[in-house]
Amino acid sequence: MTSACADYPFAAILGQEQMVLALLLTAVNPAIGGVVVRGQKGTAKSTAARALGALLPPGEDGGKAPFVTLPLGATEDMVIGSLDLEAAIANGEVRFQPGLLARAHGGVLYIDEVNLLDDHLVDGILGAAESGVNRVEREGQSRAHAARFVLVGTMNPEEGELRPQFLDRFGLAVAVEGAADPETRVALMRLREEFDRDGHAFAQRFAAQQQVLRQRLAQARRQLPEVSVPRRLLAFIAEICQRNHVAGHRADIVIERAARAHAAWNGRAEVTADDILAVAPMALLHRMRDANPDMPPPPPPPPPSDEDEPEEDEEDGQGDHKGQDDHTGQDEPPPPAEDESPQPPPASPPEDEVQAVGAPFPVRRLQNEGTDRMLRTGSGRRSSTRSATRQGRYVKSTPRRARDDLALDATIRAAAPHQRQRRQESPSPLAIHIRPGDIREKVRERRVGNLLLFAVDGSGSMGAQKRMSETKAAIMSLLMDAYQKRDRVAMVVFRGQSAQVVLPPTGSVERAARLLADLPVGGRTPLSSGLEETSKLLDQARRRDPHVLPLVLVLTDGRANAGLGDGPPHEEALRVAAALGQRHPQARFVVVDTEAPGMIRLELARKLALALGADYLGTGDLRAEDLISLAKEHQSW
Amino acid sequence: MVNPSGARAVYPFVAIVGQEALKKSLILNVIDPSLSGVLIRGEKGTAKSTAVRALAALLPEIDVVEGCPFQSDPHDRRAMAPDARARFDAGERLPVQRRKARVVELPISATEDRVIGTLDLEHALKEGAKRIEPGLLATANRGILYVDEVNLLDDHVVDVLLDSAAMGVNTIEREGISFTHPARFTLVGTMNPEEGELRPQLLDRFGLCVHVEGLSSPEDRVEVVKRRAAFERDADAFAAQWREQTETLGADIAAAMARHPMVEAEDSILLDIAKRSLAMGVDGHRADIVMLKTAKALAAWHGRDTVVAADVDEAATLALPHRMRRRPFEDVVR
Repeated sequence: MTSACADYPFAAILGQEQMVLALLLTAVNPAIGGVVVRGQKGTAKSTAARALGALLPPGEDGGKAPFVTLPLGATEDMVIGSLDLEAAIANGEVRFQPGLLARAHGGVLYIDEVNLLDDHLVDGILGAAESGVNRVEREGQSRAHAARFVLVGTMNPEEGELRPQFLDRFGLAVAVEGAADPETRVALMRLREEFDRDGHAFAQRFAAQQQVLRQRLAQARRQLPEVSVPRRLLAFIAEICQRNHVAGHRADIVIERAARAHAAWNGRAEVTADDILAVAPMALLHRMRDANPDMPPPPPPPPPSDEDEPEEDEEDGQGDHKGQDDHTGQDEPPPPAEDESPQPPPASPPEDEVQAVGAPFPVRRLQNEGTDRMLRTGSGRRSSTRSATRQGRYVKSTPRRARDDLALDATIRAAAPHQRQRRQESPSPLAIHIRPGDIREKVRERRVGNLLLFAVDGSGSMGAQKRMSETKAAIMSLLMDAYQKRDRVAMVVFRGQSAQVVLPPTGSVERAARLLADLPVGGRTPLSSGLEETSKLLDQARRRDPHVLPLVLVLTDGRANAGLGDGPPHEEALRVAAALGQRHPQARFVVVDTEAPGMIRLELARKLALALGADYLGTGDLRAEDLISLAKEHQSW
Repeated sequence: MVNPSGARAVYPFVAIVGQEALKKSLILNVIDPSLSGVLIRGEKGTAKSTAVRALAALLPEIDVVEGCPFQSDPHDRRAMAPDARARFDAGERLPVQRRKARVVELPISATEDRVIGTLDLEHALKEGAKRIEPGLLATANRGILYVDEVNLLDDHVVDVLLDSAAMGVNTIEREGISFTHPARFTLVGTMNPEEGELRPQLLDRFGLCVHVEGLSSPEDRVEVVKRRAAFERDADAFAAQWREQTETLGADIAAAMARHPMVEAEDSILLDIAKRSLAMGVDGHRADIVMLKTAKALAAWHGRDTVVAADVDEAATLALPHRMRRRPFEDVVR
């Protein structure tokens, strides 16, 4: 007999101390502002978050505290609340039907895969979480109700990051990963086996421990208001935050609240440095200023004024910090590729050498990610767009008629208040009288992945000084980005006598990556041919989807030396480039100059960019932060 | 036999030539539905879809609450949709219908509403009351949800699918409806890797993964063509010709299912599994759990009450390949 994983007892969760602690602390003190659990798949993230629901102490009114799950497919009206359909139709009464935010009041709002949640929902939730009040202004209703809840989210960072504002709303963040020792894994398998065999008996076995947790939680909650923080420790908290350059003051506040919860959880009435050190990493993990949320936590802070702190407390705290260190650091921007690839001396690369892919790095955003007003088809997550087909998430409704995509709920809501009167005017077998003016259509939204087209110079000159290795690193980084945004990718390589479409447009970013690794360099530079192939690919892409927004990255040092005709290859390439740019106004071009810095630079790639009407970047520029502004200059994108 | 894909005759499972790994992975999922599915990777025309559709005939019979669109289990209160549960709690004797578990196909063009369920239009207009029109997740509850070309599925549909595959529950919060019903299904997907990979998160939801290729021996290929021709000439006669073998397989599966709850694994086996996972660098613990379940199902299939090392070997080939730890393309970057 299988049982829903919601039934897995919290007490039966093995290991994952940080996650367990963070969840318990927010339950002790909801003012902490919730937890986001980040980690690989299959690490009991969701199981733990759901299991917390069974432990929550009763709400203010003495009833069971709500544990509300927000599904990814929820529509806006259901989250913030809307007109009660049935009441409106049956009695012509305008009554408010509370949404998920109202239901979560006094309890937990749980969002699985929170990083995949649509932005429009995020905004509504953020607003309420921030103010503790949910304001509804829609369908002729204007009202506000209290919505204080603990936000618990789980996410797998592989699938993309959360917006920093949203991330900051979570008081604590913890990172989880699988157990590294076989014995723990065996114990986990046994637990799971037992649970799967008879979930009910399993729950029974842990009932006593569950009860202990529940009582301890209730006790801690009662004690919380009395827990005080010594003044010198407040300064200590401030120092921790300062040292780690966290933005804003939320971290300070969260640490203070969490430390008090930690003290209460341990039955103490006064916060110690130990409490602070135990919770600080969880409050800092996602707030470090230097962008990358997986950054290693702070170096251990200096000892607080040492009057009455036992020495060993200190050590414990440091131990915690180290524990964090083990996990993180993996997403840190690695130094440029130098290490691994055994390279021949740079002077004269042999023909058709395959250079290894350098270490990838996070790329800055390549374009505006706002919603545009145009109707498009497609699927992906780089830019969101209103959807022209019936595909996509039903976001909200509109009285404007464009398609036959009826938003029934909204239509009925529009018609509802008039039912009584209309019923009197004209009898009908239908329960609802709907007039054309009531009709609402669905507004759907979906993210459109763009086409990312790489035109890569594979000529011999790219082999010099590991240029190809760095170029590959740049492409790889863009591919990682493309993966998260669900872009389609294509690749043209020009080397020797001609250009080749090595990868027609595909959703398989992995295939592109594999090809990239095996991409050899050698031979001459048929730049014109490369640009022509690119043009053909763009034509094809436009035929497939007239609204496609391709992003073309030309990675070359610009040293064209093999032409299509008889003229100087370089001049020819510039002519072809100009034509390409004009022919495809919908595409955005970026020339990435792979010429090594420091040498006497010919800046041929810069001329190419000029002819193409393209942005010009060095490979090093790809990793900088200011690309966003560059993208914004391009209103056309 | 219920076959929602139409009245078309179904090619018998046992008549599929070769593709042993594919067939076995499907059978294992019948023996233990909590294995949570198979991802079948391979080129076109390798009997992927045929095998999945044929599987319907081999599925066990289940008890459902008659007329319940959510396939509520009349014997387990927790596996009931709200309506059935309310009736159960009120002391009503729920009408039981015994029928085969189903294979439900999710077309890649399916909209989100269709998948998770939506407001029942007719009911709303006629009665002025809201009622849910169940989606594919409701139909697939306690059966198999089959997604052909799963890698081409729309992103937001994948999100929804992940959501309910993870919880075994489908939560609807849309269009004025707030509703939750059980949605435990075995996810079977096929894909051609040339057309794009799956997101790791979704990949991980498939218990097992098999690669299928075209058959390499000319004799086998000839046999495929012959059988196909025979099937197309007279499907009923073809089915009759294979009936005996189909029945034998059905009996074998039934025996394995009966034995399955008794299968035990010693600590040394579990340790072996854990070490394999660690050596392969998988994410999280799902690989361990699935490997153990697979090994147990294999033991039951082979008529044993204890898991042996060979079971683990075989389980590893099915449960590990798609779970190696890597960021989206770490294997390539190295």
